[in-house]
Amino acid sequence: MGWWGDNVPEETLSRDEATRVVRRLLRMLRPWRSLIVVAVLVLMAQAATLLAGPLLVKHGIDAGLPSAHSPGDSGALDLAVLLYLAIAFAGFVLGRIAIVLVARVGEGFLRDLRNRLFGHMMSLSLDYFETEKTGKIVARMTSDIDAMEELVSQGLVLFVMNTFVFVGAITVVLIVSWQLAVGILVIVPPVYFGSRWFRRVSNKAYLEVRDSISTNLSTLQESLEGVRVVQAFGREDAFTRKFHRTNEDQYHANMTTVRISSKYFPIIEYAGVAGTAVIIGYGGWLTTRGVVTVGTVAAFVLWLNSLFEPINQLSQLYNTVQSSAAALAKIFGVLDTRPTVRQRQAAIDLPPSGMVEVDHVTFAYGQNEPVLHDVSLRIGDGERIALVGPTGAGKSTLAKLIARFYDPVEGVVRVGGADLKDVEFISLRKRIIVVPQEGFLFAGTLRDNVRVGRPEASDADVEEALRVLGLLDRFVAFPEGLETEVRERGSRLSAGERQLVSLARAALADPSVLILDEATSNLDPGTEHAVERALERLMEGRTTVVVAHRLSTAARADRIGVVFDGRLSELGSHDELVALGGHYAELYRAWATHQATPEVA
Amino acid sequence: MDDADESKHERTTRKDAEKLEGKQTRRRGWRLMKETVGAHPKLMVLGIFAGLVWATARVSVPLLAGAAIDHGIARGRTGITLALTAAIVAVGAVQAVGTGLRRYAAFGLAWRVETDIRMRLVAHLQRLHFAFHDQAQTGQLMAYANTDIQQINNVVLLVPLTIASSIQMVAVVVILLLRSPGLALFALGLLPLLNISATRFNHRMYPVGMQLQKELSDVSGVVEESVTGVRVVKGFGVERMQRARLSSEADSVFDRSMDQARLRANFMPLIDLLPALGLVGILWYGGHQVLNHHLTVGDIVSANLFVVMLIWPLRMIGMLVGQLPRSAAAAGRIDSILATDPAIEDAPNARALPDGPGSVRFERVTFGYGRGPAVLDDLDLVIEGGEAVALVGATASGKTTIARLIPRFYDVHAGHVRIDGADVRDVRLSEVRRSVGLVFEDTFLFSDSVRNNIAFADPEAPNEAVVRAARLAGADEFIRELPEGYDSIIGEHGYSLSGGQRQRIAIARAVLADPRVLILDDATSSVDPSKEHEIRAALAEVMRGRTTIIIAHRPATIALADRVVLLDGGKVVADGTHERLLATSPRYREVLARAALDPQSGVVDDESVLDLPGVGD
Repeated sequence: MGWWGDNVPEETLSRDEATRVVRRLLRMLRPWRSLIVVAVLVLMAQAATLLAGPLLVKHGIDAGLPSAHSPGDSGALDLAVLLYLAIAFAGFVLGRIAIVLVARVGEGFLRDLRNRLFGHMMSLSLDYFETEKTGKIVARMTSDIDAMEELVSQGLVLFVMNTFVFVGAITVVLIVSWQLAVGILVIVPPVYFGSRWFRRVSNKAYLEVRDSISTNLSTLQESLEGVRVVQAFGREDAFTRKFHRTNEDQYHANMTTVRISSKYFPIIEYAGVAGTAVIIGYGGWLTTRGVVTVGTVAAFVLWLNSLFEPINQLSQLYNTVQSSAAALAKIFGVLDTRPTVRQRQAAIDLPPSGMVEVDHVTFAYGQNEPVLHDVSLRIGDGERIALVGPTGAGKSTLAKLIARFYDPVEGVVRVGGADLKDVEFISLRKRIIVVPQEGFLFAGTLRDNVRVGRPEASDADVEEALRVLGLLDRFVAFPEGLETEVRERGSRLSAGERQLVSLARAALADPSVLILDEATSNLDPGTEHAVERALERLMEGRTTVVVAHRLSTAARADRIGVVFDGRLSELGSHDELVALGGHYAELYRAWATHQATPEVA
Repeated sequence: MDDADESKHERTTRKDAEKLEGKQTRRRGWRLMKETVGAHPKLMVLGIFAGLVWATARVSVPLLAGAAIDHGIARGRTGITLALTAAIVAVGAVQAVGTGLRRYAAFGLAWRVETDIRMRLVAHLQRLHFAFHDQAQTGQLMAYANTDIQQINNVVLLVPLTIASSIQMVAVVVILLLRSPGLALFALGLLPLLNISATRFNHRMYPVGMQLQKELSDVSGVVEESVTGVRVVKGFGVERMQRARLSSEADSVFDRSMDQARLRANFMPLIDLLPALGLVGILWYGGHQVLNHHLTVGDIVSANLFVVMLIWPLRMIGMLVGQLPRSAAAAGRIDSILATDPAIEDAPNARALPDGPGSVRFERVTFGYGRGPAVLDDLDLVIEGGEAVALVGATASGKTTIARLIPRFYDVHAGHVRIDGADVRDVRLSEVRRSVGLVFEDTFLFSDSVRNNIAFADPEAPNEAVVRAARLAGADEFIRELPEGYDSIIGEHGYSLSGGQRQRIAIARAVLADPRVLILDDATSSVDPSKEHEIRAALAEVMRGRTTIIIAHRPATIALADRVVLLDGGKVVADGTHERLLATSPRYREVLARAALDPQSGVVDDESVLDLPGVGD
C-alpha cells in the first residue's frame, strides 16, 4: 500500500561499506547460529508447503478428474485432497514457529545491541559527549536501533520467506514444464524493472514529502509558540496564509507520490493478469499439443502469485534493509570510537588525600590549539581555591583535568602523590567529585537521586548526608518526602532545590577533593541561602576547587588562581591579588565601582 | 461504609461519564469527517466509480479463464482459447486503468481531507484567545495537527478502497452461489474467519503496540538523561548503575516485542492457511462434482482464482474495522477544538478607536485567570496620554496582568479598560491591538530574517524605518555585525542570539509598529547592564510624546518613568515619583531589594545584593 515511504533511507551505503556492515553483522550474529539455522530450515519448509499446494491441485486434476484419456479416479483425488490438507496445516504450524523463532533471534540481537552500544557509550570519555551533539548521540540508541526494529519485527521473516518462495517457485515451474515456465518468465522483467523504477522515483518523492512535512510542522510550531505575538500585532491572517502555503506544499508533495503509485500499481496488476493470459493462451496451446496437462495449467495459475508477490514485497523491503544497514553503519561507528581516558592495567587505588598537584600541564582538545599551556599549581589538603578568568580562558578545563575527565597532553596531575593516569577509576570517582553547574536530576525519587553519590548507601546514610548539609527537614517536608518523584508532572523542583540535591549527592559520596562549577545564572531567592549554607558545610575539611563566576565567591577562597589565555597568570589570596594590581585587581575594581553606582539613590 | 459506597458509586458514574464522553467525541468525529469528505464529492464519486469498473474487470478474469479451460483447452479448440485469452488481456487493461484511478481518487481524497482539516484547525487556533493557549500545550496541539489528522487520513483512504473491495466480494459470492452453492460454501465458507481474525488481531495488537512505544520511550529516556547528565554520571562514576537501568528497559522492550511476535504468530499464518483450506475444499467438493459431471475443471480453476483474489479485500476490511473507532476519536478531539469559540472577538457593532493621545484608564477593574482567584481587585488607574509610568510590585502583584488587559488579550470580569475614553471591548480588536505595542517578558522571535522580525507589524515598511527602529532599540550595532546583517536568519535554524539581543529586537519590533501606547514588560531584563545604558538613552526618544508603561526592577530603568505606581495584591498601594516612594514607602524599598535577588534582574545587580546583610560575607 502507500505507506512504504516511512523508511526511505536518507543516505545509502556504498557497496564496500555495505559488505563490511554485513560481514560484521554476521560476526555479531554468531551466538545465535544454531537458532538461525533452525529458523531458516523452518522457513524453507514453510515455503515448500506453499509451493506444494498447486502441485497437489495439478495431481488431483490430472490423476483424479476425467479427461479425454481417463474416466477419473476418485481415490487419487481424495489422496491429493488429504495430502493438501496435511501440508496446509503443516505450513500453518511452521509459520507460527518461524515467526517466534525469528523474533527471538532478531529481538534478542537488538536487546544485546542496545546493551552493548549503551555500555560502550557510557565508557567513552567526556570529549565524545562534548564534541557530538546530544541529539545525535541519543539518535544512535533510539531512531537508529528502531530503524532495525522494523526490519527485525516484520521484515526479516518476509525477506527470507519471499526469497525462498521466489527461488522455489522458479525452480518448481521450470521442473514441471520448462516451456510454460519460459512463457510466464517473460512477465518477470517488466515487473522487476517497474519495481526498480518505482523505488527510485518514489524514494525521491518521499524525501520531498519528508522535507515538506518538517517545514510545515515547524511553521505550525512557530505559529503556536508565537501565537501571542501574532495576535498582539494582529498578524493572524498573514500567519494563516503562511501556513496555508506550507500546508499546500505538503499536499502537493504527497500528491506526487500518489501519481507515481497510481502509475506503478496498474503495471503490477496488469502483469498479473497478463501472466494468467499467457498461462491460459500459451498453456492451452501446449495442452492441445500434449506438452502439458490441464492440471499443469491450473497449477501455474496458482503459482503465478508466488512469482510476482515476492518481487513486489522484496522491492518494498529494499528500503527497510537499506535504512537498517545505514543505521547499523552509524552504530558501528560509535562502537569503534575508543575512550580517550582509559584505565591502565594494574591500576592503583587513589590514596585518601586532598593534596592536588598540577605539574607543568599542557592540554588541547583533540587536534586543536592548546587551551592550557604549561600550568602548574599545588593545592594543599583541605585548601579552598577559586579559579577565575574570562570565558574560554581554560579555568573549566583545568578543573576537568583535576577530575581526570581528560588526560593532559603533557605534564602530570597528581592527587595524594599518585599520577591520575595510574589510578583505578572506581577509587578515583569516590575521592574526587565534580558538582556541575546545573543540579541535574535523574528520573526517580529524591532518595534515588541522592543515592547516586554512593549507590550502595543505606537509607540512613542518605538521610545523614542530607542532615549534614541541613537539608533533611526541607525535603522530608515534601508531600511524599524523600520518595517524591522528581520528574513527575514536569520538574517540581526549582533550580535551587535541584542544586541542593546535587550537593547532598556529593556529601554522600564523601570525597577528599571537591570540584565545584559555580552556576552562572542565579537561583530562586528562596533557596539561595540554603545553597550557600549547604555549600559551606560540604566544603568543610575538603580540598575544594571552585570554578567561580562571581567575584564574591572568589573572594572567600583561601587562594585565587586567575586563568588567562590558557595560563595561570596570577595566584594568591584576594588581598594579595588586589595589591598586585593585575587582571584580578582590574576585575575587582570594575565590579566594586558598579556596585557603588548610586543608581538607587 | 457509606463513604466507600459513595466513592464506588462516584467511580462508576465517572466511568460511565467517560464512556459517554468517548462516544460523543466519536460522534462529533464522524460528523467532522463526513463534512470534510462531503466537500469533495467528485473525488469520492470517481473513487467509487473506478472501484466498480476495477471490481467488474477483476471478477471477469477468473470467469474467462474457466471458460477458456472448459471450452477451449479441454476440447482442443485453440481458436476459442486464443479468443478468450485476448479477452483476458483486454479486461486486464480495464482493470489496470481502474486500479490506477481508484488509488488516485482514494489517496487524493485522503490527502485533500487531511490538508483541509489541518488548515481549518490551524486557522482556528490562530484566532483562539490567550486563555485557551495558556491552558493548551504546544506539544498536544501539534499532536492534534499531526498524528490525529493522520488517523483521519487512514480511514478516509480506506473507505473508497473498501467499498470497491466489498462490491467485488459480493459479486464473487453471487457468481459462485449461482454456479454451485456447495462449491461456494467450500471455497468461501472459511474466509470470513480471515476477516474476523484480522479485526481481532488489529484490536489486540494496538494496546501491545502502545506498550511497546512506551517501553521504547523509556529506553530513550534513560539514554537522554545519561547523555545530558553525562557529567554527573562520569563525575560520580555511576555508569554501571545507568547500564543496569538501560538493561532492564531493554528487557522490557524485548518482552513486549515478543508479545507482539506471538500475536503475529497467531494471525499471520492464517493468511496462508484459510485460503489454502478453501483450495482444498474446492479440490475435494469440486473434484467429486466433476467426477459426477455436475461441474467442470474450468469451474475449479476459476473458483481457485476467486479465493486468491479475496484475500486482500478481506484483510483490508479488517483493517478498516480496527481503524474506525481510533479515527473517529481523533477527529472528535479535533472537532472539540474547532467547536471552541474565540472568547475575544469584535462586538457586533464594534467601532473605530477614537483619536487621542493614548490615555489609558482602568475603572474598578476586577480580573482573574480562568476560575482562579482575582489578580486585580477593583483596580483604578489613570495614565495620561504621553505619560511614562513604571509599574512596580512583587511577583503576582498584578503588573503583567495590567499590561495584558490593555491590548485586550483577556476581558475583565468587572469594570472597564479604556483607551482614549473608549472601552476596549467596544472597539474593533484589530485597532486596539494596533494601538498598543507590547514587548513581552519572554521574547519570542520567528525563524526569519532580522529584518522581517522587526517589520513584523508592517512587512511593507521601508528599510530606513526598520533600521531606525533597530537603532532606537539599541540593536542596530550588533545586527550589522551579524554575517548577513539585517538579512541574517535567526531562531531555531539560524543564528542564536543572546537573551539581551533578542529583547532588543523585540523592542525594535514594537517601536516599528508606532503604537499609541507602548508597554515594556521587563523588556530589558536580559540586556547586559552596560548596554542597557545605551538603550535607555534611545528609549527616552521613543517614549517622547508616547504613553509608555514600563514594568521593571532595575532602578535605572524605573528612572525612565515620570511616575511610579506600586502594586500589591492587585491594588495600587502607592503612587508618585521614584524618589518620593523611595523616601516614603518601606514597601517600595522592600520590593526593590527583593527584586534585585530575582534571577531575571541580571547578574551584576545580584552581585551587589550578595553584599546585603545576611547574604554575602
